[in-house]
Amino acid sequence: MNDMVCESGIHLLMDYLDDALPADVRASLDAHVAGCARCAAFVQSYRATPRIFRAATMSALPEDLRESLHTFLRAQRERGR
Amino acid sequence: MGAFEELVTRYEGRVYRLACRLTSDTDAPDILQDTFVQVYRNLSLFRGECSFGTWLYRIATNTALMLRRSRARRPAESLDTFLPRFDTHGVHADTPEAFQCAARADEVLDQQLLADKARDAVDRLPDLYREAFVLRDLEDMSTSEVAEVLGVAPATVRQRVHRARLLLRGYLGHLVEVKR
Repeated sequence: MNDMVCESGIHLLMDYLDDALPADVRASLDAHVAGCARCAAFVQSYRATPRIFRAATMSALPEDLRESLHTFLRAQRERGR
Repeated sequence: MGAFEELVTRYEGRVYRLACRLTSDTDAPDILQDTFVQVYRNLSLFRGECSFGTWLYRIATNTALMLRRSRARRPAESLDTFLPRFDTHGVHADTPEAFQCAARADEVLDQQLLADKARDAVDRLPDLYREAFVLRDLEDMSTSEVAEVLGVAPATVRQRVHRARLLLRGYLGHLVEVKR
């Protein structure tokens, strides 16, 4: 018998997606998600969240900052000699 | 080029990106500089008990955290309202369509708006969740590497990352709902 409900499944999601659940628990959650449109959509959005945030918060080191960092560190090292 | 300069060149981009994600574009230059000053001063103490990257990330993360704590910030507005809701039987209270909104946030929202809101949302996470989420999910480190950087058990990292994902997932859905 599968006692899994949406709320109990939520707590297992990270281990579920990392394939870190015991086989019987995974099978139980698989069965629930397969029959629950809400959970299927929730898993999709949970999985997408890190990807969306990774892309949205990407930033490159500005060239002028890179140059000033190297200049500063060179001066620090020369002072320390 | 000296060995230290090569090391800076190799890691400067990653440290800057990490600093932006843990604090802000404004604070990131200070964190970048302080991190490499500390690395230079403590390089002789690095014993190779963890990878160099893990050691460096630990210094950068602690530097960012100390800077955040030194700032007299207003308490961030909690994201708790974006956690999933359930009825009395433990069934999702929201519809599949509402959940699908979050998964499509990067398709339907203006990219600049999404970038601004994403940074704001990460900033609003509690410190413990932010560090774990940024290192694990945004910097793509393994759970055991993050555990080493933060000095906590892997299970604790997983719990914090999971909590952050739930909050941020709900926030994405909210952004798309608001746009409609």
